[in-house]
Amino acid sequence: MSKVVVEVDSLVKQYDKLLAVDGISFEVYEGEVFAFLGPNGAGKTTTVEILECIKPLTGGTARVFGYDVTRKNDVKEIKRRIGVLPQEFSALDKLTVKENIELIGDMYEKHLDVTKVINLLDLEDKTKERFENLSGGLKQRVGVAAALVSDPQLVFLDEPTTGLDPKARREVWTVIENLKKLGKTVFLTTHYMEEAQVLADRIAIINKGKIAAIGSPEELISEHGGLKVVIIRKGEEQLASVLQKRYGQTTMNSHGDILVKVDDVNELWRVMATLTDMKTGRDVDIQTPTIEDVFLKVVGGRITEEGELKG
Amino acid sequence: MRAVTIFKAVTKNWMRSRSGLFFSIMFPVLLLLVFGAIFSGTGGSSRSTLFVQNLDVSASDGKPSDFSKAFIDALNSTETFDIRDVPIEANASTHARNALGPLGGNIRILIISKGFHDDLLAGTLKVRIGIIYGTYQYFEPLMNETQKIAMQQGLAQLQQLNQSLPDTKTSLTVIVDPSDQSAAVIKNIIASIANAFNYELIGAENVIQFQEESVTATRFSNVDYYIPGLTAAFIMTNGIIALTSNTTEFKRRGIIKRLSITPLTKMDWIVGNVLSQTLLNLMLTAIMIAVGWLIFNVRVIPDALSIILIFLGSIMFSGIGMTLSGLIKDVEAASAIGNAIAFPMMFLSGTYFPLEFMPSYLQSISRVLPLTYFSEGLRFAMIYKYPEGVYINMAVVAVLAVVFLVIGSLLTRWKEK
Repeated sequence: MSKVVVEVDSLVKQYDKLLAVDGISFEVYEGEVFAFLGPNGAGKTTTVEILECIKPLTGGTARVFGYDVTRKNDVKEIKRRIGVLPQEFSALDKLTVKENIELIGDMYEKHLDVTKVINLLDLEDKTKERFENLSGGLKQRVGVAAALVSDPQLVFLDEPTTGLDPKARREVWTVIENLKKLGKTVFLTTHYMEEAQVLADRIAIINKGKIAAIGSPEELISEHGGLKVVIIRKGEEQLASVLQKRYGQTTMNSHGDILVKVDDVNELWRVMATLTDMKTGRDVDIQTPTIEDVFLKVVGGRITEEGELKG
Repeated sequence: MRAVTIFKAVTKNWMRSRSGLFFSIMFPVLLLLVFGAIFSGTGGSSRSTLFVQNLDVSASDGKPSDFSKAFIDALNSTETFDIRDVPIEANASTHARNALGPLGGNIRILIISKGFHDDLLAGTLKVRIGIIYGTYQYFEPLMNETQKIAMQQGLAQLQQLNQSLPDTKTSLTVIVDPSDQSAAVIKNIIASIANAFNYELIGAENVIQFQEESVTATRFSNVDYYIPGLTAAFIMTNGIIALTSNTTEFKRRGIIKRLSITPLTKMDWIVGNVLSQTLLNLMLTAIMIAVGWLIFNVRVIPDALSIILIFLGSIMFSGIGMTLSGLIKDVEAASAIGNAIAFPMMFLSGTYFPLEFMPSYLQSISRVLPLTYFSEGLRFAMIYKYPEGVYINMAVVAVLAVVFLVIGSLLTRWKEK
């Protein structure tokens, strides 16, 4: 069993009449990428900022490396051990990439060699470039470099790819995968389903301040994602009738495709064997449930590109 | 040490900002150049245009009378006026307006009336006869009978002459534009010349002589007197406008939040910013004096007291800036409110105009403005070399510096709600 790095129990955060975090409990383990997945206003950033000790909690407890986020002396210890990429990271515009990373590094008693951190993030060519001249993706990379310069054990990445184009988003994903390889514990918040599914070892789906589901992507899909579906493109009604008789759960959609839900891998292979025997000659696709299906099931809606909950 | 790191970073960020440099250093210097050009008298002093219509000319040859010519020569000798003649037959106002052309300018006209020479001569004789009468009456008790009889015979003849002289008339007319701010000064100069002319004709002398001395050991120029005020005013704007806007912008962009997640403390952040402001303000002072020295030959030199005062002023205005940025969330609002506070303070604190020129209620307002004490203190330190005056103002600035720094610290959020 890995060591617990973050321990949250019945955490509550109330702003006047708004209950932003409603009694959530979870743990984050050493060396894992833990993702908080949810729409805007779900309570992701609020929770993370409580753990970063820049926001007070209203109720419950939150510990990072065993230190209590509400105790002044513990806060100092937590701040020494964490690295943070805040939502919409920004830095001093007129300073260069290197100067901005050094600025954050100099806030700590010890920090890594800035040049090494720059190399790690593939920013060598941009060392002397002013922050104001960087693209969105490069700015995020500088933000990650600033988060890593103190050699933290735990890295918080709050919406690291929001607003980035697909190419820049993939670049940031590579950085996060490398962090995992370096043995860092990563606490990621995102509203992108694919991002959580690709990067996270465990995902907590959060909505309206509550955790709706938590587990590894596989566990969540297995538990909430539903069945795999075999799709036979432009199938005939006679074929649909045969498949319905043998396997049940067979329907046709408006495009004339036959959809067969299968309970497990064995049944999937049996369906495929039937299709081979009948020499249908049709195109076949296999649709596997994703975290998006899980989200739809447990929350009852989808998240738009902008992070809003819909449906 | 973290405060020093913040100081270096914030200063470097500011030094590389063109707009920051312009408003913090270049703009004050440009203003100094403008004030200097106006008040230093360098670059050739400009003369005030004065249209003169001399109606006291000979009917036969059109030559001006002796006294009217002498009066115009006296006006010229002051080197104050660019005198332009107006023909006798012209309407003086219309002529002046046409002569000034479409760009306009202030109309100032002096009309010397017909008979100026004769009136002046008659008036002078009457005054002189009056003096002889007065002298007789003063010494009469001391005279013997023979002297009295001789004097009375002479006085009777003078009396006849006096009665034959015409009554004097108004001989000079000055026409000015009521909106002309120099009009009063110009009227006084003309009146002074007329008085001097009168004294000369009646043979009187000024028995009271003026001797002008400076209150300072060093003879300072007008520009010297502006340097402490301008410097104080822009140290104020650097704190209230620039720091407020920058801090609000840092807050909006999450830079302060990012730093607050590190072991940096709120006090480190504040000290770093105050140090940066102090350096900026010392640089501003040095550049203002260097420009003043190079271009206007100023002699003002900041001493240790001035530097201490600039340090305290930097803390005070940084404290006000932090207080404002703690209260204001929006960057545009921060800039607008900073300007709304700074500009009235600049004009009401005696930095540009002496406080005595203001109505009493404005003087009362100026007494509660921090800039009043700061600029007064700087003027005492840099110009008058009057330590007692510096200490009083410095004490007020020091107290306000502590008050605003405490309020600014309390309002600077290092932890969100």
